[in-house]
Amino acid sequence: MSTFESNQATLFERLLKPHMQRLYRLAYRLTHSKPEAEDLFQDVLTKVFTRLDEIAELKDPGPWLSRVLYNQFVDNHRRYARQRLFKVDEAQLPGRSVETLPGNLDSSSDSERLHDIRSLEAALDRLSDEHRTVVLLHDAEGYKLEEIHQITGDPLGTIKSRLHRARARLRELLESEEPFAGRQRVS
Amino acid sequence: MTCKTINEKLDDLLDGEVEHAQRELLEEHLLSCANCRSIVANARRLQSLLQEYGESDVPVPDAAFFDQALAKAAHRGSRDERQRYWLKGFGTAVAAGLALIAVGIVFFGAEDLPDTDTGMPSVTMALEEPRTVNLVFASASDLMDATLTVILPDGIDMAGFEGQREITWITSLKQGKNVLPLKLIASSPRGGELMATLRHEDDDRTFRLHVTVI
Repeated sequence: MSTFESNQATLFERLLKPHMQRLYRLAYRLTHSKPEAEDLFQDVLTKVFTRLDEIAELKDPGPWLSRVLYNQFVDNHRRYARQRLFKVDEAQLPGRSVETLPGNLDSSSDSERLHDIRSLEAALDRLSDEHRTVVLLHDAEGYKLEEIHQITGDPLGTIKSRLHRARARLRELLESEEPFAGRQRVS
Repeated sequence: MTCKTINEKLDDLLDGEVEHAQRELLEEHLLSCANCRSIVANARRLQSLLQEYGESDVPVPDAAFFDQALAKAAHRGSRDERQRYWLKGFGTAVAAGLALIAVGIVFFGAEDLPDTDTGMPSVTMALEEPRTVNLVFASASDLMDATLTVILPDGIDMAGFEGQREITWITSLKQGKNVLPLKLIASSPRGGELMATLRHEDDDRTFRLHVTVI
């Protein structure tokens, strides 16, 4: 690597590092798979390296990077209708599972919380891709509606309506579950 | 203030985007309406569960992964840039020689065993109940632009491709084991043979899987 390339790599690292975790989380939310998220994340990093000058001029590269990643995801899935194979250890093969929960757990509430999270996962799987993406980005990842608009390019009104419907559908699905409905708080 | 208004303003209420004066009116209504109180309480509970899900669910890789990803991007990006300029100058392309696919296997659940009569692997699934079958391909090297074709028997559909008997992807394989999860749904008790063919240049491998529906 030449001195110029080495300087470019250093600049790239300085500009990208503050956004890496959030960008990876977005990749995971879109793909629902660790190997696919890693591939998507790597593809995007490689792609944006060649646009270093553009990134350097941005005040906040975060939304721009998220949009590049989202477009790459859409390209992979819609334009080529392709499903990537991904490298795995055989132990990873069964479906997703929740192994850890945040916070200090006590054994009495742990299984209840795990049950709720699993019920939520099952309910999320029954949403359309558009509805699941919006509710996860907004309520699980903390993206503002305006940020989701910047990432996806969808009109703000459409995003609001998807969020409303996604939340309503999730409530409907979860309320039919006895433990969730039984533990509702009445203020 | 009515129950209808609560429903209309629910998202704004959850996101803290209701003005103070309107919030007071909403809260006043909630004090007198048990049904709306229950709706709002459930909506808040869902919101908090989604936040918890956000904190717990994403297996964020360690710092070493991010460092490697940056280094790879810089290396590949520099190489691509160099190649781009080189191609501009000489107007030609270089095709890389790629190794062939080594072997392919079908990986399935512990309850499914190879069929002793035919030697063909088999999977058993219930009618109308989705079942994921993982096809695993072992490759001796990274392969770009391989073609994977799955041919399904009548009565077995792949989720997202309902009604299609033949589905083809262009895909890439990494060196080592690569998995393709296929979510299958049986719409008839007939069952049959699923065939998956992976093709790269002149090389191809076909895997057959017997599907029994109960």
